Amino acid sequence: MTSQGSRSSETDMGYGPGTIKEPGFRYRPMGRDAEGMELYEIFIGPQHPASGHMRIVVRLDGDIIVNADPDIGYVHRTMEKLSETREYLKSIPLFERATIIDSANITWPYVRAVEQMLGVEAPLRAKYLRTLLAEINRISSHLYGFGLTGIFINHSTMYMWSFGDREIWVQLAEELTGARLTHTYIIPGGVRRDLPQGFKEKALKAIRYMERRLEDYMKIFVYNPVTVARFREVGVLTKNDASRLGIVGPNLRASGVHYDARIAEKYGAYPELDFEIPVMEEGDSLARLLVRIEEIKQSMRIIKQVLDKMPQGPFFADKYMRLIPPALRKHVAETGRIKLPGAFIRLKPPAGEAVARGEMGHGEVFYHIVSTGDTKPYRVRIITPAFRNVVLFRHLTRGARFMDLPVIYGSIDYFPPEGDR
Amino acid sequence: MSIADRIRRNPLYSLKMHAAAIATGLRYLFAKPRMTVRYPEYVIDLGRNYRGMIRLHKDKCISCSLCAQVCPASAMKMYKLPGEKKMYPGINYQRCIFCGFCVDICPVNALEHTPVHDIAEEDMEGMIYLPLPGRFDREWKSPAEEEGGRKVKVEFDEEEGLKHEPE
Ligand code: SF4
Ligand code: SF4
Repeated sequence: MTSQGSRSSETDMGYGPGTIKEPGFRYRPMGRDAEGMELYEIFIGPQHPASGHMRIVVRLDGDIIVNADPDIGYVHRTMEKLSETREYLKSIPLFERATIIDSANITWPYVRAVEQMLGVEAPLRAKYLRTLLAEINRISSHLYGFGLTGIFINHSTMYMWSFGDREIWVQLAEELTGARLTHTYIIPGGVRRDLPQGFKEKALKAIRYMERRLEDYMKIFVYNPVTVARFREVGVLTKNDASRLGIVGPNLRASGVHYDARIAEKYGAYPELDFEIPVMEEGDSLARLLVRIEEIKQSMRIIKQVLDKMPQGPFFADKYMRLIPPALRKHVAETGRIKLPGAFIRLKPPAGEAVARGEMGHGEVFYHIVSTGDTKPYRVRIITPAFRNVVLFRHLTRGARFMDLPVIYGSIDYFPPEGDR
Repeated sequence: MSIADRIRRNPLYSLKMHAAAIATGLRYLFAKPRMTVRYPEYVIDLGRNYRGMIRLHKDKCISCSLCAQVCPASAMKMYKLPGEKKMYPGINYQRCIFCGFCVDICPVNALEHTPVHDIAEEDMEGMIYLPLPGRFDREWKSPAEEEGGRKVKVEFDEEEGLKHEPE
């Protein structure tokens, strides 16, 4: 692109929203505004210092952000398309790689949608076990986001602490599922493993430890006057804008909207449990941090209840258990580990459609599956929370100072591999 | 008024919160390193539940090929080796994602996970384990442990989070 023409036209236009033409990626400064001030364009990424790969194209007037454009797609892995080429079961390990830090929550609605089409329901104990892992994942997802927020503003203590403490939850998940991150625990019909012996004591210790640590987090990071100065009233998202833009998750609830897919969709063991949905009115970056802290507390409350109320019974649907020989059924009862029937490889839902949503650490995830009665889906549409929240980069940064950008980025907990799928 | 606003408006309160932040940091300054495990001198005992390297018990295998069919990463394949009448599975660790579906679907429990994951190979071919003696049926042991590393057990602790105690 030749720069001369576009440059002069930009000069005339000022720099309101959407008025800057694509300037071509060759030059910066970009032009002058009405008062003769130069605009600058800065590229952040795509190699990213903290989260996954993405690029933010920031246009600056002095220190003030005129426009910030999230440039996504660097970690796009064609998950939707790939899932059309594989059997229903085999897409579970695929989708959990979209948000590897929250793999139970991102695959759960998929499994529920497949279950709807197959007409099977997980037994109650399986629902409790799913809820247990989902909440463990939610805590580690929030801690992950917290650590990144910390390192974004150079608070390396917060980074180290929350990544260290996340290890406890990863360890708990490992004892339950056998894998640290890619649990592949939730499968159509139930879960793959029963609760191991002594899990409750371990979880309760972890909760007591974490409760104390959260108080430390508040002192060293959240209510540290340095953090407050940088997060308070920065990147304010109004209630109106939050619902208009379709924001989900803690970002939505920090703007005063009481919405959580766990309540709206009533899945898993949630309808039987007593917990709150933390909501704050302020809508600023600090509120988004505080909502996440409260959610960690609520998740721990859920875990305690789940472990107390865990019903006895099978953890895998009878419909499939009947397909395996009695000797294996005995093996399942003894070891607490599932044995899959051979037919499981080629699950064949009848032609039709199913939708399901669920609440991840980052917000609501939505699946739409279309089946033609084949062993592979015709289409799987995934709308991830990160994808719905990415618009905040543009919306919240306009008019903010440049050094507010890391704060806003950290506070919205954007996870590029999840947004790009 | 919220705590955050008090911090912003009241310099004395802000000073107090600064002090609280520093005091919290200082408290941990002298705590012993908590979660670091000095591998390979110490090796974490991953426990029976861990989904690690996979072992084939060839004597049990009935060559049903379900494990190869269920593998979402096409890591498991059936091989007919010279001199053998039947096909047996082999695993390619370049591809395996340790989902454990193959272990879960094997109708005769011929596959099992071992609590070992710290394996490295010198070349790409080395990562393919054919159903040959000493390969896919091998009893895995952590190389660090073989060279004298001490096993440590992970324990949950209210004070320290995770503790790693030598066994
Ligand atoms: S663990 Fe999963 S990826 Fe690895 S061989 Fe078995 S089925 Fe395939
Ligand atoms: S599923 Fe088990 S019995 Fe069948 S081929 Fe694989 S290892 Fe052999």
